[in-house]
Amino acid sequence: MKKITNKMNQTKTASSNEVVSGSMSSITSGSGNETADRSSNKAVNSGADKETILEIRNLTKDYGAKGFRTQALKGIDLTILKNDFIAIMGPSGSGKTTLLNILSSIDKPTQGQVILDGKNIAGISNQELSKLRRDKIGFVFQDYNLLDTMTLQDNIALPLSLNGVPAKRCIERTFELGRMFGLEEHLSKYPYQLSGGQRQRGAVCRALITDPEILFADEPTGALDSKAGKELLRCFQMVNDRKQATILMVTHDAYAASWAKDVYILNDGTVKCRLSRGGDRREFYDRIIDVQASMGGDRA
Amino acid sequence: MSIVRMAFRNFRANLRNYFSLIFSLAFTVLILLNFLNLIFTDAFVTMQEQNRGHVNMVVSAVSFVLCCFMFFFIWYSTNVFLTKRKKEIGIYVFMGLTNRRIGRLYMVETLMTGFAALMIGMIFGAATTNLFQMILGAVSEIDVRLSFRFAAEPLILTTGIFCGMYLLFAVKGYANIVRSSVLEMISASRQNEHVRIKPLILAAKTILGTAVLSAGYYAAVREGGMEVIQNLLLAVILVVAGIYLVFGGFIPLLFGLLADCKPFLYRKERALWINNVTFRMKKNYRTYAMTCVLMLCAVSALATGFAMKAQYENMVTYSNTYTFQLLGNEPGLLQEGAALIGQDNEIVYETQTPLLIVDSARFDTVYQQTSYAFLPYSSIKALAKDAGMEFTLPEPADDEIISVEKLYMMSFITDHSGRTVTCNGKTYREIAQTCVPYLGKLREQICLYLINDREYERLLPIGLELYTCNYKIADDSRFAKSLDALSALMEHNTEEHYTGVNGNDPNSDEIEWARVLYAVAVFMFLVFVLASGSVLFMKLYNDAFEEKERYAVLRKLGVSSIVLGRAVAMELCMAYVCPFLLMVISAWFSVHALEKLMTANLMPVYGVSVLIILSFSCLFYLSSVILYRRNAGICQKD
Repeated sequence: MKKITNKMNQTKTASSNEVVSGSMSSITSGSGNETADRSSNKAVNSGADKETILEIRNLTKDYGAKGFRTQALKGIDLTILKNDFIAIMGPSGSGKTTLLNILSSIDKPTQGQVILDGKNIAGISNQELSKLRRDKIGFVFQDYNLLDTMTLQDNIALPLSLNGVPAKRCIERTFELGRMFGLEEHLSKYPYQLSGGQRQRGAVCRALITDPEILFADEPTGALDSKAGKELLRCFQMVNDRKQATILMVTHDAYAASWAKDVYILNDGTVKCRLSRGGDRREFYDRIIDVQASMGGDRA
Repeated sequence: MSIVRMAFRNFRANLRNYFSLIFSLAFTVLILLNFLNLIFTDAFVTMQEQNRGHVNMVVSAVSFVLCCFMFFFIWYSTNVFLTKRKKEIGIYVFMGLTNRRIGRLYMVETLMTGFAALMIGMIFGAATTNLFQMILGAVSEIDVRLSFRFAAEPLILTTGIFCGMYLLFAVKGYANIVRSSVLEMISASRQNEHVRIKPLILAAKTILGTAVLSAGYYAAVREGGMEVIQNLLLAVILVVAGIYLVFGGFIPLLFGLLADCKPFLYRKERALWINNVTFRMKKNYRTYAMTCVLMLCAVSALATGFAMKAQYENMVTYSNTYTFQLLGNEPGLLQEGAALIGQDNEIVYETQTPLLIVDSARFDTVYQQTSYAFLPYSSIKALAKDAGMEFTLPEPADDEIISVEKLYMMSFITDHSGRTVTCNGKTYREIAQTCVPYLGKLREQICLYLINDREYERLLPIGLELYTCNYKIADDSRFAKSLDALSALMEHNTEEHYTGVNGNDPNSDEIEWARVLYAVAVFMFLVFVLASGSVLFMKLYNDAFEEKERYAVLRKLGVSSIVLGRAVAMELCMAYVCPFLLMVISAWFSVHALEKLMTANLMPVYGVSVLIILSFSCLFYLSSVILYRRNAGICQKD
């Protein structure tokens, strides 16, 4: 069972889309007893099947100087379990990238806790954070961020070799992932010799090579054409199904979001709604569009 | 906004990025100004006219070398600058600016950079002229007249030379931009400079480079007669070409192989730095080659300087072997001379030997104006003993001679093997040469050959036997008194016992210019060392800005700054080690060639200069690593 609540904005739209079955993630925003109660409910229900990968509690992020503060995130609670595939949607300025940056330890919250691998990452040293990012987290960026100085194979193998994994194992893993993502023939090429889709799949390989606990993707299809985007989403689905990978993807594209198991819609730093896919992807896509429309047309 | 205002805003905004360029160019201006100032001011007015002429010649030659150096330096730095600016100012295409206007913008901005460098160089150059002259004087131990008068000529000449060269490359950059496509401009600084040549061709280039380099080394150390000058010129060309070929072939080949050998590559941060070196290979290998050549010039300059100094000291010792030399036609004149000199001076040692003057017409030689004489072996052996000189020469056979050589500042004839002398129809084989001043400065007037006593006796009928009496006094300052007495003796030489007198003023400074050359050479050594360091430093300083984005990605991926720092340290280490290693090998041959020319032991100088370059390289390396880490944004604490 999973629940989504927003103490400050419990709109009809949000409650009508609440799904009681499906994956085991839970997200709440707001504060007070209600949130705490719901969190504890979730913990009882989820702990039985799947391991918790990431948990955030009462997450707040402020920007700007005193007197001119803008609250980007307004107390968000979220639990991500193993094998989840979550999409976070929202309009520009809704706080989705801020949320992703904090979850992936690139940014620090103003308040609240982010618990990854049993540790609150908001309180650990930068050195430990680096280690955490290297060992537990995989990143996929909108603009691929492959290093143009090296071949695709070297790009993919880099995180492993930097971790001190024997070269033989690095090579084996690179070819394994290259095969899985249809890049075997392109491994010796430089990023500029590859298409956008190939580059992004290469970036996914690089993110997955260390077998991270969770994969964060920031608008991964943003720079791709529809065909390449679809291929990439298929890859995400494949690693989620076959490799039991946990994925958290930020996107503004309803089509991309429809490939996820759960979609959370953010607005003004709070979670407005959560949708769960259940069965057919096309039907799920229609539902996302409907919810977006009912939440305020193009604003969602 | 006008082009000039736009260029000025760009210039001001990018001042930090231009720092290395302005600094390096200002340095070249400063050096050239200081050297040209030496020519136009009367710093060396206290020297003899002949010496002053030589010094001016040396300074002019060095100034010419500096001009060449400035030319290549401006070429290199403006090229780096052009690539960097092309992308940034290329954005103006989207604002509707034509290539011509963008070119003008670049040119104005470049001229502003040049102007800043010229001004800084001029101001600091003018401020350091006296210091420079003082250092030059102190190092060469020459009395330099310091004046705070500043001649206008060096200022005008330096400005003219710098502006001429700079303008040439600014116009070249303008033309380049005008001809560039929009795409070229925008992607200029992101271009992959990977050398895309097949390994086989790279291997062939390496082999060719090694062959050319080896040929250069051979030409440098090959002994010979006057062809040595041609050989040396050929050696310079071959070594420089060989260095470029080896770096252009071997470095891309090596790093290409390393990058392809994944079991080697995937160890810690190797994938990062090896790929980084490979990525900028085109620019990298050219910079390595240029640095190597500059370092080689540095070692050669220092070795030349030290050789000059050693030779100067040898020549002073050679000239001062005897204070007075008398030439007469009777044995037993030694005592008479000694008594005369002894009136005013204490004699340290006195020697005497017969010598047989033979008419040059009896020699089979083209040098008919030269005087020739034979020396008996046993007399010279005894003379050496009396004067405390070394004598390790073997006794020649009847058809053998030993050449008693004059000491030259520099001799291009390095091969003395197989030389023969034909006199009176008989050919003598030269079995050895000696530069020991057995007959002091008399050797500068007569060509001397040492033969065995039997042969000397046999040749007596064909020549005129004279006796030379040589004296060394204890107090050089009393030289003139005895000279007057000896001159009087010559004047009253009614019986014509004496045929000549030589008075060697110990305080003579006719080859003083060699000491200036030494000081200039030491200075040039420093200039070349600093130049080689700053070429690499400038390149790495600029590269760091371009790597910033890449390192930001790596940090996002969780690569710690310690790991990135290690990768940077290795990458930069390669940049300094590669040229240094080839320089160490090439410089050995260069110094060895100089050893032969100057007949001096220069290997200690080689060792010292290599160590000095190593120390400077270490300093440059450490500064590069620190600044690179800062500019690339990887020095934040983890």
